[in-house]
Amino acid sequence: MDAPAASVLDDRLYQRLVELAAPDGAERGPGRPDLRPAVEQALHHEARLLDERLYRAWLDRFTQDCVYWIPLDPAGDPRTRVSYLLDDRRRMEDRIGLLETGWAHAQEPPSRTCRIVSNVEAWPLGDGDTLARCSTVVWEYRKDRLTPFASRNDYVLATLGENWSVRFKIVRLVDSRSDVRKFSFVL
Amino acid sequence: MDALDTLIQPHRVHRSLYTDPDIFVTEMEKVFGGAWVYLAHESQLPEPNDFITARIGLRPLILTRDDDGGLHGLFNRCAHRASTVCQSECGSARRFQCSYHGWTYSNRGELVNVPFAEGYPPDFDLSDHGLAQVPRLGTYRGLIFGTLNVDAPSLADWLGPAGPLIDEFVDRSPSGRIEVRNCQRMVYRGNWKLAWDNAGDGLHPTFAHRSFLVLNERQHGGARSLSQFKASPDDTGMYGADLGNGHMFVDQRPGLQQSFWETQRPVPGREWYADRIVESHGDGAAEVLEMAPGSMINLSIFPNLLIKGNHLETVDPVSVGETRLHTWVAAAEGAPEEVNVLRMRIAEDFPSLGNPDDLEIFERCQEGLAIPEVEWVDMSKGLGHPAEEVAADGVRRAPVTHEGPMRGYLRAWLKLMSADAKLTTARAGETSFEKAA
Repeated sequence: MDAPAASVLDDRLYQRLVELAAPDGAERGPGRPDLRPAVEQALHHEARLLDERLYRAWLDRFTQDCVYWIPLDPAGDPRTRVSYLLDDRRRMEDRIGLLETGWAHAQEPPSRTCRIVSNVEAWPLGDGDTLARCSTVVWEYRKDRLTPFASRNDYVLATLGENWSVRFKIVRLVDSRSDVRKFSFVL
Repeated sequence: MDALDTLIQPHRVHRSLYTDPDIFVTEMEKVFGGAWVYLAHESQLPEPNDFITARIGLRPLILTRDDDGGLHGLFNRCAHRASTVCQSECGSARRFQCSYHGWTYSNRGELVNVPFAEGYPPDFDLSDHGLAQVPRLGTYRGLIFGTLNVDAPSLADWLGPAGPLIDEFVDRSPSGRIEVRNCQRMVYRGNWKLAWDNAGDGLHPTFAHRSFLVLNERQHGGARSLSQFKASPDDTGMYGADLGNGHMFVDQRPGLQQSFWETQRPVPGREWYADRIVESHGDGAAEVLEMAPGSMINLSIFPNLLIKGNHLETVDPVSVGETRLHTWVAAAEGAPEEVNVLRMRIAEDFPSLGNPDDLEIFERCQEGLAIPEVEWVDMSKGLGHPAEEVAADGVRRAPVTHEGPMRGYLRAWLKLMSADAKLTTARAGETSFEKAA
């Protein structure tokens, strides 16, 4: 197959992530009510794609310069701290490709998930992008166990409407600093 | 509990080592108390008055640095009514005050104040009631170890041939020092020795990590990460070793067909950061890039430290059927910043793509071990093979798929479990300190 596209992650992109990920200090005031329906449309659609494990369709919604990040240290700079994962598009494809090999034991049997997306707020970022914040609980069922993954998520959406697309997705797990079961399904 | 030496036979080990709560209690006392246990790295408490918490088996501990820079292993247990006195993972503190009745200790473990002191017996002496301490501490290249066993060999002797291998790991940094950053924490429902078995196991990658191998071949091609295990690993020159005292070694380096950097799967930022290194280092760039990927060794320091990739991973038992693994990432001190940015992304790569499959299999093993009538776990591969002979340096080296390293650590386990070692605590100022390297 064709070689996957080169990474576009550079220092500038990292810097943008760091600025985005300092959420608790930057009080933005209430979100814009007029943006909320279109943002919810995107986030609810994303939740359904992931719950149905339509991972390729999910990935198609991300821009070429996207970053998907699950930090361990919510206030840390990912250039100096390790995360659960910080993926560019190429590694997102790897993650999906791993599941598609059929040999990913941690997903045999596969997880069944049901995610609840709530507390959605949205703000325009000025450059045409939209910042969205929400609270998410992913209920994962696998091998007699029902496990909640609670997080506060940040999205930067590049497009809204029918062709919604994601530039950044940050999953800030509330228990990221405690012991977690390793997971290989997509949060 | 059957006689321990009947549970470990040359070619097999009894299931009760993984399932018997009584054995677990004894090993938390004797194996973790009697061995030199890894506690933390000096870079995690660099300044005077810094501290970090750790455990020796199930014993909670505060590792402190006093205002003169000296290290102390204080049990996190008030001398009064046993409450833990420190609730933070790490930080900086001169004093630890118990929240229950206000007894206050210095970071050297001395009891410095008891509120409402009137009413204690006349012979009540503050100096008799400090925090109990680890009697022996030692460091090796910045790694801090402790033991409760006054009869244990010196730290240098305990590490033996593992010492020079720690040197190889640390000396990948230009300064000869690593800097430990943050930690990935995970938990699995299985006995701690399942992780230990796995750490010396060069037979499993071909099968347990098949998803990772197939992915890399499909997406990236060539001799990428772990491809040395794709077929016939024993023909690659990779080897496993029983280093004595339970320490194990797997050397993947002979199996590589190209440099570490070329072998490394592409991680986010690979191109931009490599370009910066080429710009700044020119002809020397290839050497600099070699510092970014993991060490390609698996060095296991019995009973609780797994050095692998660019990680120091601690094996922290919770109960007979539950274990925490804390994977601390090491930055290369003195390396260009770009190298360590790449190290952070590389440190997420196998741990998030490959480790979930390991942990899944540990849990499957624990499930299978539940059958009382099927008693034995086979570890015979390589037994009697000429390569299993002990070399002049005390090391048994064998092809990488052999199970000799596991048999080796179980010998050390049995020795500690069977010994009547004198496990003690010390008072403030009594701890002995060894700087082994």
